[in-house]
Amino acid sequence: MRMRRIVDPSLFANWLHFIALGISILALTGCAATKSAWLSPVLPEQEIERNRFAVVKGVDVIGRLAVIRVEKGDTLPDMARHFSVGINAISAANPGVDVWVPEDGERITLPLSFILPDAPRTGIVVNLATMRLFHFKEEGGSLTVSTYPVGVGTKERPTPTGQMHVARKASRPTWHVPASIAEDHRKKGDPLPAKVPPGPDNPLGEYALYLSKSSYLIHGTNKPASIGLKATNGCLRLYPENIGMLYQDTPVNTPVVIVNQPYLIGQRDGVLYLEAHTPPEGSDSSELKKINAKLKTIENKSARALDWKKVRIVQAEAQGIPVPILELRQGAEKKASKTIELKHPVTLYGRPEIPELKLDAWYVLAGDVRDEIDAQRLAAIINHQGPPIPAQVLSKSSKNTGYRVIAGPFGDVNEANDAVKRLKMDLDIDATVIEPVRKISRSSRY
Amino acid sequence: MKSRLLAIAMMLVLAAALTGCATTREMEKVQAEQKLLDAKVEQALQDAQAAKAAADAAKLQADDATARAENAEKAALERERIAAEKAQRADAAFQQSMRK
Repeated sequence: MRMRRIVDPSLFANWLHFIALGISILALTGCAATKSAWLSPVLPEQEIERNRFAVVKGVDVIGRLAVIRVEKGDTLPDMARHFSVGINAISAANPGVDVWVPEDGERITLPLSFILPDAPRTGIVVNLATMRLFHFKEEGGSLTVSTYPVGVGTKERPTPTGQMHVARKASRPTWHVPASIAEDHRKKGDPLPAKVPPGPDNPLGEYALYLSKSSYLIHGTNKPASIGLKATNGCLRLYPENIGMLYQDTPVNTPVVIVNQPYLIGQRDGVLYLEAHTPPEGSDSSELKKINAKLKTIENKSARALDWKKVRIVQAEAQGIPVPILELRQGAEKKASKTIELKHPVTLYGRPEIPELKLDAWYVLAGDVRDEIDAQRLAAIINHQGPPIPAQVLSKSSKNTGYRVIAGPFGDVNEANDAVKRLKMDLDIDATVIEPVRKISRSSRY
Repeated sequence: MKSRLLAIAMMLVLAAALTGCATTREMEKVQAEQKLLDAKVEQALQDAQAAKAAADAAKLQADDATARAENAEKAALERERIAAEKAQRADAAFQQSMRK
């Protein structure tokens, strides 16, 4: 009797072929995936929302955090302006980073996420502690908020808190100089006229919203680098591009509430966030006690334990960004918005332009310093004056051991002398006028 | 009797002599060994002294390097402090310039 084969070799061979083919396909796919990963890493995003957000009921946190790499020549004020944040906010979010000469390649956090202030979501709400303005508007049944950084009053002349409204508005406003400010300027040797007309010397900028509280305005500025500083005489300043938007969007009689809340808590998507800012100078610990009491109430209601150590760290660091501190819903923190990587824009909006050197122009020597970083810092500060004074660092030559910072070019000696006067008054710099290297004769001008 | 005594005496002398020889040899051996030992000790002492001298020199070098490193660190910290002060002063001047 012939033995039957248990295994048909041809069938077996076929199966082997199929298995081999399957393995090859898997291997190739794996290679393709790996290759794809090597060639196409997650790309930085091009854009991020900075000003306008939808407000959802029960949600207190808007926006997203982002990081971006510094490129040579960047300053934090330039990055702040481009991304519509204040100099205070970008500095607080990046402790230890040099404001004027950050390191090339350094990663900067852009604080573009905010917890809405604890105030009615209507009209304009300004939080002095965070130096941020929020404008709530009902649009087609849904609520939106436009938010902008602001400059606020100094310690000597603070911006008042309280409720008021927009009494009137004006484009290209004239600045009627208050007596106290006129006196300050007179003492400095810089007498001001009674009225300053619209133009580059007008500190109100192109638009003004006059508040019902007399003498207080929300206005533009001729010193954009002051946004996020306590530098006004009580008014609220906005970047030129932001006051334009606010002016168009804000009818007269819009309610305005000004608060001072350095600690904010809010929730989004099942996560509780804490945002801490440096409390106002001379303030007591009442705000801290208030917020901790609120946190205690939330902890009790949610029956979940707060990480109080983390809370204290966030409060002490005061970086001004929303930090998750409690999951109100299991697993919510994993799904929370992550920080995104942003591509560096081709140009930063509002960055001062440095004109080319001209041999027939007047210049002003503003500084001669040993350290290149000091020279770059000085030039950047001069560039960001309002109105701007272009300045640059001259390369070290074999003849001089230091780095020279020159301001200019200026058309004539009068312009140069004006710059010398401004540098002395505003920055206490003793500058020297430099004559043109080459004088162009009238006949050769075109 | 006499001759027997003489023989015994001679044997004794011989034994003593032989013993003496042995003792002397031993003594010489001991002395030689001692010399060798002395030489070893001397060598060891010299080696120890050389090692100590080398260790002292290394310690001096290390101390010197530590001192230089500490000085360099102090100088770096001082430079950092000065740089931070300059930056603060510049920022203060800038903030003042931003007032109306």
